[in-house]
Amino acid sequence: MKIWSDKEKMSREETRKLQFKRLKKTLHHVYENVPYYHEKFKAAGVKPVDIRTLEDLRLLPLTTKEDLRKNYPFNLFAVPKNKIVRYHASSGTTGKPTVVGYTKNDLKVWREVIARIATMGGVTNEDTAQITFGFGLFTGAFGLQQGLEKVGAGVIPMSSGNTQKQIMIMQDFQSTVLIGTPSYALHLAEAAQEMGIDPKEELFLKYGLFGGEGSTEEMRAKLNEAWGIVATENYGMSELIGPGVSGECLAFKGMHINEDHFIAEIIDPNTLEVLPEGSVGELVITPITKEGLPLIRYRTKDITRLDTTPCDCGRTSVRMAKITGRTDDMLIIGGVNVFPSQIEGVLLGIKGIGSNYQIRVLKKGYLDRIEIDVEVVNQDLLVSVTLLDQLYKEIESKLHTILGIHAGIHLVEPKSLVRSEGKAKRVIDLRSENQ
Amino acid sequence: MLINQLSVFIENKKGHLSKITKVLKDAQVDIRAISVFDSAEFGILRIVVDKPEVGAEALKKAGHVVKQSYVLAIDPSDKVGSLHDVFALLSDNDVNIEYVYSFVMPNNQGAPLIILKADDQEKAIALLTASDFSLIPKEAVYNVQNG
Repeated sequence: MKIWSDKEKMSREETRKLQFKRLKKTLHHVYENVPYYHEKFKAAGVKPVDIRTLEDLRLLPLTTKEDLRKNYPFNLFAVPKNKIVRYHASSGTTGKPTVVGYTKNDLKVWREVIARIATMGGVTNEDTAQITFGFGLFTGAFGLQQGLEKVGAGVIPMSSGNTQKQIMIMQDFQSTVLIGTPSYALHLAEAAQEMGIDPKEELFLKYGLFGGEGSTEEMRAKLNEAWGIVATENYGMSELIGPGVSGECLAFKGMHINEDHFIAEIIDPNTLEVLPEGSVGELVITPITKEGLPLIRYRTKDITRLDTTPCDCGRTSVRMAKITGRTDDMLIIGGVNVFPSQIEGVLLGIKGIGSNYQIRVLKKGYLDRIEIDVEVVNQDLLVSVTLLDQLYKEIESKLHTILGIHAGIHLVEPKSLVRSEGKAKRVIDLRSENQ
Repeated sequence: MLINQLSVFIENKKGHLSKITKVLKDAQVDIRAISVFDSAEFGILRIVVDKPEVGAEALKKAGHVVKQSYVLAIDPSDKVGSLHDVFALLSDNDVNIEYVYSFVMPNNQGAPLIILKADDQEKAIALLTASDFSLIPKEAVYNVQNG
């Protein structure tokens, strides 16, 4: 199997040397060009010159999504706005999205890291790749498109939804690679069968590159079986670059991190101390080649562990295990990040309903669905069903505006929601149960 | 002339109506007229009972959302076209009917009666009285003489 870049085969020592050099450059870049980081470093009593080894990275303060929120939209950018050639955004915690910007060189790096993970997943210039991520502010679709084109694969930018047309194009264009979330891929396989098309016999798919949400080995087995493909998973987030931070090779021993562009650490989410290699904890990533939005020690809130033991594929880069959880309450609904606080914010701003609510996340077929019980408290709504209907629509449309997904709303009687003692159980995730 | 009606929020789920009727039964409240206005997800139960205050209090205490409002009870007389006459009279005089449902009272020879909610109730009363439609007083609705 081909390895895209020699950078993926460097010795550990070479990798560390390159990482240190690039880290230093990035630290000077943010210290000089991002006032917020300048102040943050000063408050922590540390300057870029104090970082003398790679291990000294832990002396630097961590960055969180909250820092991005405070600096909305562009205050963490390290270059003038005229150097930014692309913007993306992901949903934030308070209604304002998290904005990211790319310079020309950032896009070049993005193409490179995606080309690597595409190659890891089996893609070559002979392939035709169908992208089912939505093209828009989210990073998934554009990231994969550019990197796949760099590999030389033919890209079909289908975007999300339109299931029947997806299958038709897949058949007529003879797509060999499927790109999207694992849950949508399973949904598509089911849809193909319902259309009377056998995904294994009548379609041409060989590989599936999945991301945007975590998946399990059971899901991989299902994907492989349903489509007759080899499924791999890749990882990333818009704050860091989008997809392209890491990806699985065909040895399936974890996701190789593009270490010449990202330094990975594992911390204890409570003490914030760096944990020794092999420990399970929160992944912290420092991009070391970014110009537009270089973040230092970004807390991903994803729980995983790192492994530098040699991989059968020949790559020497460190591998991260599948994400096993989150250190915050973020939900991933069909690849879209949703925070319960966003939902609460919307509900509290609507008249006629109570402050108590309950969020249920479940699977409808293979697709994630979010349902929210809302208590009706205002008796004046009982004048007509129309008023209740208007309330219902108001809640639904405001949530859609903020979350970017449709939630099923249930108006319920006050006090019918279980009030647990102490901390209210706001979110019930039933997805693993009914799989 | 106005009858006190209770409107109760209901979820479209099994057993919800019986929860409400249980509350009324336990409070010794008798239902005179009943109707459900619903959409796919939820609805409004409208009832006329013999003791509206007692019924409303009991339902509120049991955690239901209850609104008291006023409606008209009309005896359109049991003959072809009589209901049309009522509606035409109101519409010709620019009174809009928000909803209507029917019920029977045993001391009325089983002839159907209607509960009606108009946007302008006072005007509706005036029009109906002037046209000799019989409006049923609330005492007659609340205190049915059985048998």
